[in-house]
Amino acid sequence: MDAVRDKLSRCFALAFPKLDPAQYADASAENVEGWDSIAQLTLLTVIGEEFGREIDFEEFEGATSFAALERALQVQ
Amino acid sequence: MRLGEALQIIGQATGGKKVGVHLLCGFEPLYLATFMRARLALRFADAKIELLTGLFGDLEGNIDRARGHSSAGAIVAIEWSDLDQRLGLRTSAGWSLATLDDIAVQVEEKCGRLQKALAALGAALPVAVLPPALGLPPLTHIPPRLTGAFELRLRAALIGLLQRLCDRDGIRIANESGLPTERHDVRMDLHAGFPYTLAYADAVAELAVDCLFPKAPKKGLITDLDQTLWKGILGDAGVDGVSWSLEGKSQAHALYQQTLGSLADSGVLVAIASKNDPNPVEAALQRPDMLLSAAQVFPVEVGWGAKSAAVDRILKAWNVGADSVVFVDDSPMELAEVAEKHPGIECLLFPPDDPAAVVALLWQLRARFGKSEIREEDRLRLNSLRSVAAIPEAADVEASADFLARLDAKMTFAGGSADARAFELVNKTNQFNLNGVRYTEAAWKALMRRPSRFVATVTYEDRFGPLGKIAVLGGSVQPDFVCVDLWVMSCRAFSRQIEFQCLRQMFAKTGKQEIRFRFAATERNGPLQTFFAHLLSAPTGEDELRLRIDDFVRLCPTLHHQVNDEWTLSEIN
Repeated sequence: MDAVRDKLSRCFALAFPKLDPAQYADASAENVEGWDSIAQLTLLTVIGEEFGREIDFEEFEGATSFAALERALQVQ
Repeated sequence: MRLGEALQIIGQATGGKKVGVHLLCGFEPLYLATFMRARLALRFADAKIELLTGLFGDLEGNIDRARGHSSAGAIVAIEWSDLDQRLGLRTSAGWSLATLDDIAVQVEEKCGRLQKALAALGAALPVAVLPPALGLPPLTHIPPRLTGAFELRLRAALIGLLQRLCDRDGIRIANESGLPTERHDVRMDLHAGFPYTLAYADAVAELAVDCLFPKAPKKGLITDLDQTLWKGILGDAGVDGVSWSLEGKSQAHALYQQTLGSLADSGVLVAIASKNDPNPVEAALQRPDMLLSAAQVFPVEVGWGAKSAAVDRILKAWNVGADSVVFVDDSPMELAEVAEKHPGIECLLFPPDDPAAVVALLWQLRARFGKSEIREEDRLRLNSLRSVAAIPEAADVEASADFLARLDAKMTFAGGSADARAFELVNKTNQFNLNGVRYTEAAWKALMRRPSRFVATVTYEDRFGPLGKIAVLGGSVQPDFVCVDLWVMSCRAFSRQIEFQCLRQMFAKTGKQEIRFRFAATERNGPLQTFFAHLLSAPTGEDELRLRIDDFVRLCPTLHHQVNDEWTLSEIN
């Protein structure tokens, strides 16, 4: 579980460099400036690179928070 | 480069002077923009990159709007869907025969409009055009193994557009043929309007940045002979035993010779460093079937000493730094020996038994030495270097003064604000360079437009032949002094007192009593620092150096140049 969280945190650091790492756990498209549909695609692509798997954008479309992404990645 | 790496580079960019670059396309720029930002951040390490993009689906409008914004340049990515939306995957207007005819007409019209828009943009700032990377969709009845009239008509319209743009000043057309072939990410195209795979987006971003902001080409190539310029060992096989031909199963060496000949024609310096006896080498180089003529090579260093020592003598004869030079040899040991003694030199292995690898090497050489234009100075470079060898060392001052008096030297001063050679010289000269400041094309054009600026070029010739345009002077005339912030001179022109004549003309032309130089010491401008140390009482290292006319007159040697003044006063105001 920690491995997924660590990797996801690294992705957030790349996609949202201005975001304080302490805020990752509660981060979502609602409260992170610049988290729009383009940022979502960038984040998902970086996640794909970091986790070494192809991400289905449509499947992850609703995963617009750190917590939701973490859950989705743990399931897969 | 992975997307994560690109984001990391962007995140680590420190920022400084702003460099704005337009990325103009009709699709969602998405990862292309990210890779472009990263590549630009790598190219301009001390700058803050601002990538300016436009509206989705409006390439022509984006080009028009970009003309209103100043920037360092524009990258224009054209796709078939920009020429007609029906050529993309995101519309469903039908692919009937009647539609196809209409598409062809629209594409031809669109190419005409894009040509006008791009020509206007190219007049304002440097432009790199990326031709369509993606194929056409399956919209005709023609099977994919054939090319039909419709597709040829579209391609003709596109090629016509690119051909007309290619001749325009300020526009360069990228060659994407060597980029990854897996280019189209259909899923992403439909999902987000971004059509490229990550690998292609990265590669095309690198290509576009290289096209828009090309690195300075290398200046010289030093080649080995045996098993490199020709097949065989000259000392064993004899002059007639070495070969470079299909019949001799040594065609790769012929291709290498041809390439070196072509590089020499474009102004690249070519020299030989070989462990051999001089006489057979001289005879072999005179063989009538040689594809690189002996006249194109200077100097020829043949002997049994270390290759690094031969390279050292060649660099001195050329008066260029090792980092401007490529050394080619078939021996990894020789390459390592030269690399160790000359850090910065690029050492490339010639693989005599692998023709495919030789062809790859030739492309590498084209990449290192390629230039978009061949100037008069490129043609003159080799002869002027040979003539330098005839000029006595500065230590023998008396002999030198006498020699210079008999040179029949002529110098021509001319306005240089619109001279592309002035821009080239300022950006590539290291040793005699006032402050080492480099300019992008856009920054140079903006500088030339500033009021009260002057820029003069200096052309030189003597009885050894012409050197072409070898110096650039620039600055502004102030009420009490002349401020010089641009002064470069090609190293080929050293030892001819040209620098003194430049200053004399500056005083005479402006009528001022003092010149103030915006000087900065660099790692490479030692010759200029030595000159200033001789001329100025204040030590070098200050950022503004002052020279009074009475000091100059006292220290200036007798000059023998015949001066032709084509530099009009209006160009100084």
